Parts: sequence; C-alpha cells; structure tokens
Amino acid sequence: MIGAMGFAGFIMIFYAALMEGLLHTTEQNATVMESGQFQVHAPEYRDDPDLYTMITQEVEVLNRLQANGYQAAPRLFGVGLAAAHASSVGIMLRGIDPDRERLVTEIHRHLLAGKWLNGDDPEGVVVGRRLAKALGLVVGDELVVVSQAGDGSMANELYRVRGVLKSINESIDRSGVFFLDEVFRKLMVLPDGVHEIAIRSPDDTYSLADHTQQIQNLVPDLEVKNWRELQPVVARVIDMSRYSLLLMLVITYSAVGILTLNGMLMGVFERIHEFGVVKALGVPPWQIFSLIAIESFLQVVFASIIALAAGIPLSLYFETHPLDLTGLASSSASIAGIALDPLWYCRVSVKAVVDPIVVLMVVAMLSIIYPATKAALLKPLAAIHHR
Amino acid sequence: MNLKLNHVAFLLFLMVVLSLTWASMSFATTTDDEVRARLILDLIDDLWRADSSESTVTMRVVTANYRRTVTMQNWTLGKNYSLVRIVSPQKEKGTATLKSGNVIYTYLPKTDRTIRLTSGMMMGSWMGSHFTNDDLVKESRMADDYIPRLGFEGDREGRSILEFILEPKPEAPVVWGRVVITVLAESYLPLVSLYYDEDLSLVRTVTFSDFVEMGGRTLPARLRVVPTEEPDEYTELIYEDIRFGVLVPESFFSLQQLRRQ
Repeated sequence: MIGAMGFAGFIMIFYAALMEGLLHTTEQNATVMESGQFQVHAPEYRDDPDLYTMITQEVEVLNRLQANGYQAAPRLFGVGLAAAHASSVGIMLRGIDPDRERLVTEIHRHLLAGKWLNGDDPEGVVVGRRLAKALGLVVGDELVVVSQAGDGSMANELYRVRGVLKSINESIDRSGVFFLDEVFRKLMVLPDGVHEIAIRSPDDTYSLADHTQQIQNLVPDLEVKNWRELQPVVARVIDMSRYSLLLMLVITYSAVGILTLNGMLMGVFERIHEFGVVKALGVPPWQIFSLIAIESFLQVVFASIIALAAGIPLSLYFETHPLDLTGLASSSASIAGIALDPLWYCRVSVKAVVDPIVVLMVVAMLSIIYPATKAALLKPLAAIHHR
Repeated sequence: MNLKLNHVAFLLFLMVVLSLTWASMSFATTTDDEVRARLILDLIDDLWRADSSESTVTMRVVTANYRRTVTMQNWTLGKNYSLVRIVSPQKEKGTATLKSGNVIYTYLPKTDRTIRLTSGMMMGSWMGSHFTNDDLVKESRMADDYIPRLGFEGDREGRSILEFILEPKPEAPVVWGRVVITVLAESYLPLVSLYYDEDLSLVRTVTFSDFVEMGGRTLPARLRVVPTEEPDEYTELIYEDIRFGVLVPESFFSLQQLRRQ
C-alpha cells in the first residue's frame, strides 16, 4: 500500500519536473534566439522604425540597467540593399555588440556555417539563411551593402560573409545581415544612439510583469516591452501548451487518486470483521474514524518520503543529464521563432515537488472518508459475521 | 421570323444612336481649352528636355536630420535614357545613376560595383533627396497621362497666370490623384505645381523660380520641392548650365560608360 502510493508520488514528481523543464526550455528559447526577454525602444520607434528615432545616451542607459543586474545588449537597425553575384536583395542591417549580445541571446550558437561576428574581423558579416540562398552566398563570399546613410549620402561598402545563420525567424532568415556595431556606425554615419536595447533578467524570482515595471522605472522616458508583448503569438502558443500539459497532469493525478482510493478501501474492508469486534467491545464510532484517518495519514507520510527520496534525485539527475532526443528531432528545427531543443531537461521547482505530495495527501484523505465512515457506523453483530 | 427581323433592325438602330452619341460626347470633351492646355503641358514637359541635353545641376537637400549639397552632371537622350554623375562632394564623387528605360543602375566607385535597383528600392529616396528612384524612372508626359482643364485664368499676385487642373486618365500609370499646375500667361513658364495623392490631399509642392536665359531658352533655373508633411524640409535643384541638342550617342548610356570617371 505504502509502496504503491510512494511509487505513484515518485512518478508524479518526475513527470511534473519533466513538464516544468519542457515549458521552461520553450519559454527560454522563445527569448534567447533573438528578441531577448525585454526590449527598450524610443517611444515612437516600434510604430515607425525610423533611422533617426534612437535611444540617446545609450551608454548611461546600459550602465544603469547593468548596475541593477540586467544584462543589456544595444542594437542598431537600418534598411538597405545587398548585392552579390549580379543579383541584389533588400536587407535589414543589424549592428550589434557581440560581447554584450552573447549575454542576452544565444544567436551566436545558431550558425549553419562559418563563424559568428568577432571584433578582430570588421569586414566580416553574418547573414540569414534564406538571404544567403537568394544571393547564392557561402562563407568567404564578397557582399556589397548599399543604403542611405544618416547624413543622406549613399552608404556603400564591401564586406565578406563570415557566417550563415540557422533558421532564426522569418525576418532574419530572409533579410538579416549582422554587422559589428562600430562597422554599422561607420557605414551608416550614425556616431551615437541605438535603436533597441535587448535585456535579459538575472533570475526568475520575479514575475515578468514585475521585471517590466522595474525596467520601466529605470528608463522612465523609454518604451519597455517584455517578450509576451513583443511576440504575442509565441506567448499564446506557450500558454496553450501549458494548459494542455496541465490537463495531462490532472489525468495522471486522477489515475494516482483512484489507485490510492482503491488501496484505502481495501485496507478498511479487509478488516471489517476486526472493526466489528472492536465496536462490540464498546469503542465509539469517532475513535474508529480517527484511527483509520491517522493510520492513513502515516501511510501517506511514509509514501511521500519514498516519493521524495526517489523522485527528487532522479529529477535532479535529468536536470543536468537531459534526455537526448536528437535522433527524433532535427537539431536546427524551430517553430514560430522558437528553437526546438532536442535535449529535454527536467526542472526541479518547488511547485514540481510540493504539488504531487499535496495532491497525494488530499486524494488519500478524501478517499478514506467513505471507508472510514462506513467502518465507524458498522453494526457490530453484522460486522463480526462478515466474511 | 418577322419578329426576329424587327429585333435586328432595332438593335442596329440602337447601335447607330449610341455610336453617334459617343462621338458627339468625345467631340464635346476636346474643347479649345483642352487643346491649348495640352500644348502648354507639352511645352513645359519639353522645357528641360530636348532630343538630348547636357547639364550641370546642384542639388541642395534640407531635412530635419541632415543638409547636403551635391553637384552633378546630367545627360539625357530622348525619354528613355539619362545618366547622372556626382561631381562633388569628394566622398561621393563618381557615383552615377543610369536610367535606361524602366531600369535604374547605380555605380558605386568606392566598391567599384554596379547595382541594379530592385523594385523594393524604387520608393526609396534618390541620393538622399525628396525624390524617389521611381520619380526618375516614371518620366510621364503630362499631356499624355492626364486630362487637363483650365481652373483659373487671370491675375494672381500681380501676375497674369493660367491654372490647369490635371486629372489622371483611368489607365495612366501615374501615382498622383491630381496635379494642379500654374503657368505664366504670356510665356507659359511654370510657376507652381501641386501634387495630390489618390485621396486628393496635397503631398508635395514644386515651385519654379530664377527665370534665366540658358541653352538658348528662358528657363526657371531653380526648382524647389517641399513635402507637405515636412514643411521645413526641401530639395532644391539649381541648373548651373544646360545645353540642348548635344551629340550623345545611345552607346553613351551603357554600363561601361557608367563606370567611367
């Protein structure tokens, strides 16, 4: 009996940890690929992305964010034309600081070929996958970039493809060309200011809304958006999968509940004869009821100890040694801008551990009400003769 | 059978009546005013254009974010060919734009590359001015693409003027919903053109001034374009010098010529 409940509890803890892990990874991937958890823009920029609508005093803003524990990466954007091999395509120029970007997103790890931007190679640019295909670019090829610079002149320069990205999202795949920020500034004649600051929060202890508010307090004149506001579709998809996972958990928990109920019923009905004798000796009904309740409670406690003792170490193990599904999913797959990680990590949160134990207790305590009441109200003579 | 014949006769009658009405209507629309308007519009369209021309133009652009002055040399041949090469500033010297039919090529001396502009770039600014690349390509003739009517004739601001209101022909490949052009009554030289979008709100104003003798004609040497949305911004074209009827062969408007400094 204890063993069965213990096993059920153990399975529930492990399952909850796996689910938490999956949701966490998905949520992480939704932000670490490109958007960052939060973005800061000049107030009108998102409505009308103009080259001149910039965050000024960006050094001070970046320092202030970092002083408060936030990792922040500045970004510059522009539109232009890229030409190679006698064809040309409209592009989105993206100037970034690779050292800071590394702390906010993990785009540097999603290269199909070549290398990510590096300060030692100012002529090197990294291009989106479909753009590379459209222009027939491979690593090492020359690329001419033309745009209208900030001073109205015709910006044009020759670069070399240093890397080609895996699929990130529609916009980057089709038109993204990444430059070192100082190279971008030189080409576009934009000595200062940035268009966007992407931010990663240091921990998950606060809610997304709290962090958003905190960042907003740090930069009162700028527009702060979290990834849920930036990517509402992705947020919806994640919410939907959270609900469906909850439903799965409810089903699992119900199965465990029925198992426990069955155990409890058996435990009482097997001893009807004994309860009859006890009753005949003059023990009042409430004492029988509490006897069964205490007995069950102790069983659940032991079962919980077993569940925790087995469930937590196993989940912790899979937290560092993920299930490798590489064989099942392609390594560069992504859906709606979320990278699909073929490594499935557990995540041992307080919720993942406490919830199954609480459910176990509640189900056990509820399921003894019926058999315990029945035992308490037994007619001694009938019970003694019950076989 | 009888009925059928009646039918055919009636149809024939109807067709004759309809075609007569249509004919009289089209005669009615081609008034003397319109004929005069078309003549004047042709004159204006040909003002800076002859079979061929060679000119030096200074372009001054003032926007909220930058000011720039560019001097360029410009060659045209007929309606289809033009070549513009920047003479100054030094940073952009040699940058050239070739228009050949509906295609625009840009030569960039810094990278020694020639780029054909994609359709996506056509609405982009040309050389940082208030003109789009599309403005360069679509050199429509007003008399061909619009139906003109005389809107005003008389004195305005002490000058005797004519004002024509141009509505685009339904099938004309033009972007404007209406153009209003004011010309001097005695010389037919343009003073102001107002360009309206399809919702008939004013988009840009072009004013013509500094009427001088140049290349054997009297011309406004200065054109100023002011976008209605940004009334403090403008692009000004100042003709330093223009010659008409110069001998430029068609081969001049080639990609090889584009690269020549």
